[in-house]
Amino acid sequence: MTIKTIKLAAMAITIAFLSSCSDDDDKTDSNPAPEAKGNMFIKFQHVWGPAQADFNLNTALVHPGSGEELQFTKLRYYISNIQLQNANGDTWIEEESYHIVDAENMAGEEVQLNLSDVSSGSYTGISYMIGVDSLRNVSGVQEGALDPAENMFWSWNTGYIFIKAEGQSNASPNGSFTYHLGGFEEPFAANSSMFHDFQGATLEISPNDNPSVHLIVNPARFWHGGFSTEQTPMVHMPGEMASDLASNFAGSFVFDHIHN
Amino acid sequence: MRITVALALVALLVSCQNDEREPPTSEFSVFEVPAHFPDPVYDFDGNPITEEGFNLGRKLFYDKRLSRGSQVSCGSCHAQVHAFADHAVPLSVGVDGREGKRNSPGLYNLAWTEAFMWDGGINHIEVMPIAPITDSAEMDIALADLLDYLQNETEYPQEFGEAFGSTEISTSNLLKALAQFQGAIVSDGSRYDQYIKGLYIPTEAQLRGMALFEANCSGCHGGILQTDFSYRNNGLDADFTDLGRGRVTQNSADNGKFRVPSLRNVALTNPYMHDGRFFTLEQVLDHYSEGIVESGTLDPALTNGIPLTENEKEDIIEFLYTLSDFELLGDLRFSEPAK
Repeated sequence: MTIKTIKLAAMAITIAFLSSCSDDDDKTDSNPAPEAKGNMFIKFQHVWGPAQADFNLNTALVHPGSGEELQFTKLRYYISNIQLQNANGDTWIEEESYHIVDAENMAGEEVQLNLSDVSSGSYTGISYMIGVDSLRNVSGVQEGALDPAENMFWSWNTGYIFIKAEGQSNASPNGSFTYHLGGFEEPFAANSSMFHDFQGATLEISPNDNPSVHLIVNPARFWHGGFSTEQTPMVHMPGEMASDLASNFAGSFVFDHIHN
Repeated sequence: MRITVALALVALLVSCQNDEREPPTSEFSVFEVPAHFPDPVYDFDGNPITEEGFNLGRKLFYDKRLSRGSQVSCGSCHAQVHAFADHAVPLSVGVDGREGKRNSPGLYNLAWTEAFMWDGGINHIEVMPIAPITDSAEMDIALADLLDYLQNETEYPQEFGEAFGSTEISTSNLLKALAQFQGAIVSDGSRYDQYIKGLYIPTEAQLRGMALFEANCSGCHGGILQTDFSYRNNGLDADFTDLGRGRVTQNSADNGKFRVPSLRNVALTNPYMHDGRFFTLEQVLDHYSEGIVESGTLDPALTNGIPLTENEKEDIIEFLYTLSDFELLGDLRFSEPAK
């Protein structure tokens, strides 16, 4: 190697490094001012039956339809693919939008999800999925709320358990109920796409506030339409029963109010 | 002059470095698509193979600490000397001597496999190890407990850091390391492969067997991997103690159906069938020729069995021997690393 080639090589390498280093600066310089973003919450208030009585884990509840005496020990479910709609028809889409709502985390009756970096604006409706979209059920190992270590994943028939509801029942043949509801393939897909119009109210996102959307969830609805833990103490795989129970549960989600 | 260049480079490298370690980007070639194979199903672009990641996966594969009480490793029931199937036992034995329900398959060409297990219930190579790791009859350890153990009791945090840029061991990186290792195991070194490349001249018996195989078996065991990846009832039982595919699809029309396996290395991976009921290839061919059992979901192609003479069976077995890949058995890249 002559001195000249070394010089040339050094120059070339230097230029390569300089340009690779300066890429980020260029991007920052050419970016427009970042748009205003805000923080918000979705609050899931859990209630029991048409009377909207208190719902708590490890607490005796009587089902208003079947009369069965139930006690939940676990209630966890996925909320995914959250989007907000504004009056102009524009949509804010949360990236990597996968959350687990766990009744263990109830404060009062509510479990709250915190959404950050929401684009500022006035929103008139929200859409989301109860469960996990089919794509993420077939795309290999996932992270965050979709980490299989969250125990919301079937290992032998791979896919996410969208909803877990477990507890005791005086009417069940084995004294308990265990619902592991999932399945992303038709005709028994158990994920439910939801939309709530804010009914004239608006959700105002700005950098300075922490508004919240309040939804009401009524787990008594699992047994809507004649289901009971006596007849159905256990569901632990995809199929018609999982799909029906998940659909019942999804039917209980209603919009209540906005708190700006 | 040289010193100056070196110093300048060091300065530039340092100035570019972030606090977070970048995953390695070194060229490391352990996986190649054989020219006579189709395109693989698994896309390594989402999990690029690196030397560090592959070797981490290899170490994990052979590490008994991935089971409760450090009793068994993946390699315990997937032995390289048997083309990564179990040691000629019908059902494998996991922790505390517990016996599994189905025969352990050989592990090779998994990058071409769309669905795993005898019933196809597992839909992706990355999530495949979760079942054996957590199953009470296999390694019997919860993922969260395993991650906690590996993080706190072992040398692994540093090795995950070198492979993935983070010393915090995640489910994702654990499974990606295992996918790098297992996905890279390619079996393409059999005499049959050599024959396709024009490098091996089969014997007369092997050629007769090949023709018989094409005529009688390739309807299901077709293609370069000798499988159409379908699920079929091959007439083992009238009643099903194991529903097979039907348990996954919840469709009774699939009861008693199991995955059509690749026949590569078939002579090395006995016993055969989902429950390992046949110990020899002779027994398997006798079954197809004379032993088909009628049932509601029996594959239509097997209604009358596949009648074969004794000579024909022998010739087919001679052909099946050409599917053994002895290079795979001795490939040190996939063998248990020295402790």
